[in-house]
Amino acid sequence: MSDAVTQTVTVPGENGLHLVPCSLIAQSASSFECEVRIRKGAQTVDAKNIFDLMSLNAGHGAELVLEAVGTAARDAVDALVALFDSGFNGHASRKAAQESH
Amino acid sequence: MHSRSGIPVAPGVAIGPAMLFGAESFRIPQRFVSVDAVEAELGRFDSALNLVSNSLEENERVARERLGDQYGAIFGAHRMMLQDPKLRGEIESLIRSKCFSPEFAASRVLRNYARAFRNLGNPYLAERAADVIDLEKRLLRALLGEKHPELSHLTEPVIILAHNLTPSETANLDRKNVLGFATEAGGHTSHTAILAGALELPAVVGIGHFLTEVSAGDIVIIDGNRGSVIVDPDDETLERYRAEAVVAESQTERLAALQTVEATTIDGTRVHVMGNIEFPQEVAQCQKRGADGVGLYRTEFLYLGADQAPTEEEHYNAYCEVIEALNGQPVTIRTLDLGADKIPGNHAEFHTQADNPALGLRSIRLSLRDIDQFKVQLRAILRAAVKGPVRIMFPLITSLLELRKARMILGDVIEDLEESGVEFSRVVEVGMMVEVPAAALLADLFAKEVDFFSIGTNDLIQYALAVDRSDQAVASLYRAGDPSILRLIRMVIDAAREQGILVTVCGQMSSDPKYIPLLLGMGLRSLSVTPMAVPEVKDVIGHLSLADAEAIAEHAMSLDVARDVENYLRGEVSRLLADPDDEE
Repeated sequence: MSDAVTQTVTVPGENGLHLVPCSLIAQSASSFECEVRIRKGAQTVDAKNIFDLMSLNAGHGAELVLEAVGTAARDAVDALVALFDSGFNGHASRKAAQESH
Repeated sequence: MHSRSGIPVAPGVAIGPAMLFGAESFRIPQRFVSVDAVEAELGRFDSALNLVSNSLEENERVARERLGDQYGAIFGAHRMMLQDPKLRGEIESLIRSKCFSPEFAASRVLRNYARAFRNLGNPYLAERAADVIDLEKRLLRALLGEKHPELSHLTEPVIILAHNLTPSETANLDRKNVLGFATEAGGHTSHTAILAGALELPAVVGIGHFLTEVSAGDIVIIDGNRGSVIVDPDDETLERYRAEAVVAESQTERLAALQTVEATTIDGTRVHVMGNIEFPQEVAQCQKRGADGVGLYRTEFLYLGADQAPTEEEHYNAYCEVIEALNGQPVTIRTLDLGADKIPGNHAEFHTQADNPALGLRSIRLSLRDIDQFKVQLRAILRAAVKGPVRIMFPLITSLLELRKARMILGDVIEDLEESGVEFSRVVEVGMMVEVPAAALLADLFAKEVDFFSIGTNDLIQYALAVDRSDQAVASLYRAGDPSILRLIRMVIDAAREQGILVTVCGQMSSDPKYIPLLLGMGLRSLSVTPMAVPEVKDVIGHLSLADAEAIAEHAMSLDVARDVENYLRGEVSRLLADPDDEE
């Protein structure tokens, strides 16, 4: 666990982490071998799992901690941060997810 | 286990596997597969998964091209959900460890997610439950093909869960294999509710949105006594319900002993307790319980579930079946009581875009417009009346003019029958439902022109209190015990007594034990109730003296709000039934 990479992000967008953002996060996280988790308060979920992500119930402005452990952990966290920064807006974020692959 | 509550419309308890019925539901034909078949079933599941996944990809591509990226992304998200390894893992594990069929396993897992989303307390995520349900639909469609359930041809006993059942769907339920049903929509006085009572199937309606929380094949308890639906009950709950069933059985046996007992008060006043029926076969249910005939034969069933208006012979055959089965006991046949939209055949000229069908062209109003159809029914009744005592009753009469018109048409039919030389009976009493407040207010005038009154409390309450009982928002304002209702009923009973004509009550109020002392105390000597309630009503009458009943009615009439009236009557009836001295 010593090589865990973490970074805090804020949920953008009016509707928070809804269906499409969750799918983009899961898609992006799944392209990495390392373990990727997202923590909100006491709840931690697998970032590769869209159902878990949705159950985080993270609304606009919620603070989330991204955490990756393993091969290319830094890249994985960076890719997710890029997604959050882009506001999950459609094509751009999709591209970001693909490029990071 | 989770439970939901609604409006109980037919008593009893049913326990069995759920069958979801409706446009949004698939019937899952098989809940379990054999251990040997697990691998093959997993293969079948993966093919379905691929099929749906491919079609979502295609949807995503088309949506991106035509509508833009953000729309395509929705289908992309659906595909992500479907391809989620955790989802597949959960479904696979149910198939492997519990031998669930892929359909049942997929439905279970996805509906659990949908429920979880709804329970997060986030309205936006709650709406996403619909996305999950949509996925379930796609998967089931891929697994099953476009098969839809057939309610009339079931192969095993099931509990029907539906958004809504039309009266014809209810009427066509396969009674051997339907244990009970529950619907999201509907109210106490809907035709579906009345039919459920007629079929003697435990039923709960008006539950609100719940179908997506149930998977086809889940074990469900319908509690038609309390109005609850319990999905996936735990062992303790199941045990409790099975024990209750045993107690109910012995109660039924006790009341069955009353079959041969005439309904008589302690001081020897004879009260006629008749049955309300919808189908000819229900005469047997009335007789089994010792009813004094049929006080309300609703003829709507003849019109529902058919493509064309019934012919005279169809009417005639149904009426003959009832009359012959009654073997000399009287039957009151009510003429058509439906709106134009429910009637098959070419009625386009009567169809209106009415906002308020309860106040629209229905019932006797429709019969007086469509005189040809009305005559067909009247001819059939008069011909069948040769076989036994028959009364004709017109529903929804509001003005004297309407009554006179209806009687005039009846006169025309009698003339026609005479001319054609067909055998028919002219000794038929003619009466009317009193269910519109206007008719109750003019009961003294109506009493001079009919042979009997039958008070239809369901509509009378709806019209007098301006409450649609099927509307959840106002259903609690529907109170049979409202002082205004008591006054209206007493006006009608008084007018009938004054004129020396028969009066009976045939709404749901008369099936409720607490109103029996009140109605008898007001002077009523004839009731028509749902067949199942006959023994209980007789039981109450047998515990009552006329003096008691009159005192109870007098006190009830002095109270000024429905709640007080109902509480008082409830207390009185339980006191009567509990007091052993009253049986002397």
